[in-house]
Amino acid sequence: MERRFHRDLSSLPELSRFVADFLSHHGLSPSNAYDLDLILEELFTNVLKYSSGTDQVAVGLTRDDSTITIALREFDVAKAYDITRAPEPDLTRPIAERKVGGLGIHMVRQLAETIRYEYKDRVSTTTITKKVSPNA
Amino acid sequence: MLEIKVETEGSVKLKGRLDAASAPKAREALRPLKGPMALDLSDLEYISSAGIGVVVETYKRLHGEGAALRVLNLTPGVRAVFRFAGLEQMLAIE
Repeated sequence: MERRFHRDLSSLPELSRFVADFLSHHGLSPSNAYDLDLILEELFTNVLKYSSGTDQVAVGLTRDDSTITIALREFDVAKAYDITRAPEPDLTRPIAERKVGGLGIHMVRQLAETIRYEYKDRVSTTTITKKVSPNA
Repeated sequence: MLEIKVETEGSVKLKGRLDAASAPKAREALRPLKGPMALDLSDLEYISSAGIGVVVETYKRLHGEGAALRVLNLTPGVRAVFRFAGLEQMLAIE
């Protein structure tokens, strides 16, 4: 399944509905929605902050047994932004000394099995795989 | 969709989803409140890094004023995000 979303925070509820529809379509447990929502929100908001493609962002969800592949594609992107190279936040610091930023990608790394990035012909693609619970 | 209820003095209940879209609303509601504060998250279904940012910002502000922030009744999914953020051991979570 692939759907396109406006490059705007107002797309987040639609993204969440897309995940719920996908899980339902594949007979997968709704308990998988939290992790998938979180991965998608963090990737999507990262695009809003750091990248500048067209108004539409394509999100693809595919299933292979108990593995879900999430692919987020942006079009006409002038400069690559590879999240696999993003620095890790320092989570050992006391909260009062924490700096803002980097936490979302850290969470994606915690949840994902694999993360891949490709930039080709001005198309930027981030691909994540995630194991899910199969039982509905 | 996020609902914010200031229940009694110092007690705030969040219900729904605290994501990047609703974080500004939460920030605006929490900013004028004085500490100590207890955030009841028993009806919070979802939080992302943007929501964690609001909690951290509130903690920093209250800490700077010499007041405490307690975070109460986390659901398992929300607790996992606090753990990913390295906050489970640092915040007063009950």
